[in-house]
Amino acid sequence: MSAQNALLAVEALSVSYGESKVLFDISLFVESTQIVACVGRNGAGKTTLLKCIAGFLKPASGSVTLDKVNLVGRPPYDIANLGVKYVPQDKKVFSDLTVRENLELGSYATKDYNWDPVTTFFPKLKILMDRKAGYLSGGERQMLMIGRAILGKPKVLLVDEPTEGLAPSIVSHLKSVFRELSRHTALIIVEQNLPLVCAISDKVYALNDGRIVAELNDEASIRVDVCEQYL
Amino acid sequence: MRKTIDWWWGILLAFSLLAVMRAFLPLPFVNEIMIFSIYAIGCSFLLGRVGFISFGQPAYLAFGAYGTAFYLFYFGTNPFVGIFVGVAAGFIAALIVGPLFVRLRSDYFALVNLALAVIIFYLMQKVLAPITKGDNGLWFLTNMTSTPLLDITRPNHFFVFAFLVALLVWAFYKYLDDTIFGACCLATKINEDKLQFIGYSNFKIRLSAFVIANTTTALAGSLYAVYIGSVSPEITSPARAADPVVVILLGGVGTLYGPIVGSIAYTGMKDVISKLIGNWEMIIGPLLVIIMLAGEKGIWGTLEPWLKKLFFRNTSSTSNKSNAGTDN
Repeated sequence: MSAQNALLAVEALSVSYGESKVLFDISLFVESTQIVACVGRNGAGKTTLLKCIAGFLKPASGSVTLDKVNLVGRPPYDIANLGVKYVPQDKKVFSDLTVRENLELGSYATKDYNWDPVTTFFPKLKILMDRKAGYLSGGERQMLMIGRAILGKPKVLLVDEPTEGLAPSIVSHLKSVFRELSRHTALIIVEQNLPLVCAISDKVYALNDGRIVAELNDEASIRVDVCEQYL
Repeated sequence: MRKTIDWWWGILLAFSLLAVMRAFLPLPFVNEIMIFSIYAIGCSFLLGRVGFISFGQPAYLAFGAYGTAFYLFYFGTNPFVGIFVGVAAGFIAALIVGPLFVRLRSDYFALVNLALAVIIFYLMQKVLAPITKGDNGLWFLTNMTSTPLLDITRPNHFFVFAFLVALLVWAFYKYLDDTIFGACCLATKINEDKLQFIGYSNFKIRLSAFVIANTTTALAGSLYAVYIGSVSPEITSPARAADPVVVILLGGVGTLYGPIVGSIAYTGMKDVISKLIGNWEMIIGPLLVIIMLAGEKGIWGTLEPWLKKLFFRNTSSTSNKSNAGTDN
């Protein structure tokens, strides 16, 4: 697939931390309503790629475009306002704020005060509204972070290791949430949980040592045993 | 209605107690507390909400005080206009230095602010001495004209005015605490990167908080200038740079009433001890260390949960009963 009909297009992206280059000529294309997964070993550059798309790292070369709008050089808040939301791996929420206040922050930034999608996807958040986010469990924090990110109906959601350390029941719940979300949002998910990746992804990019080593984009090839060789 | 009462009760109670204090304590002491608490709340907001510790608050106090003093010494006689000019001077100064300072990390922020206080001190004492009259300062007590209704050149009228201003300032900060902006400030303190994920610019939030806090500090400076009737470079002395930080640590960082409680405790200790010993700092210093070690949340930070438990036990048990009734 080319950049022509892609919603988000990453082309020939290279990123360095100081003198050391960590991403080499990465090209990746995501269509609207597509779920794209990035798999690879630790240190392959998956999180770096997401951070670069979200504007937290400046690439050494290459381009990132959303609907043909260049994102490189824009500050992270600007990219978020253009419709690319990032859900980081560390599940750090604003611990001193309540769940309600965390969601209000998301609402105010996007001017989207309709929390129905959030509470439909995550009904548990309804009863946790007045609890300080610092007291939530790992799964509840993940729900809050995804819930806050989907306010304003982003065009692309970047999700970093969403199932890390979560109970199987929550992982299964997140699987159905991602499927539902992909009806109107493109998702790029960095994940090591291959059964989840294979169950929901329309396309899988395998990364190794900062390079894309495989692109799997049909049901026949998106299988756990195929993906496993890249981990 | 219930919500409004819940919202206001703390502020009304705190200010009722201050009004009662006026009946028992000397007027200069109460006026000093009023000004000091307004001085400290800006610093408390910066430290408690945004996570910026500032040792340069005397500089912003001086912008307000000298703004008022220049007006009342050289241009006009109305103290209300003088206060307005002082606040405007503080606002403009914060708007000029803010974009440079708020980009810095908290520790560097503390130091550049201290540097600013030192610069302003020497500007007022030496460089601008022909205008500021150097160490002698600007004296304008007799320049100020009486104003109808509230003649703030008289100490007892000044108390009423300072009381109303402080009440408004507290209501404003209480409102800020409850707004999205207040939540954004806290969020930028907790994790600045995460706030950007949602779509907020840390720079804009910090700059707004900085300007609000230091305009409040300038307001305290203007009030001080009108109350004393003179301003000298001593107001921005680096030796006094830690005063507001000490007051808010004493009262309770980030709490709404910490600056008032801290001001009362600090001014009280200073007044009582300075009557006994010339070098009162010798006693205050160790006393502060002991108080900090006893409870790092400060006086109000330690008392608040205890008072809430005491006063709201009955209210919460009543509301629990009524909730249970609804559920049934």
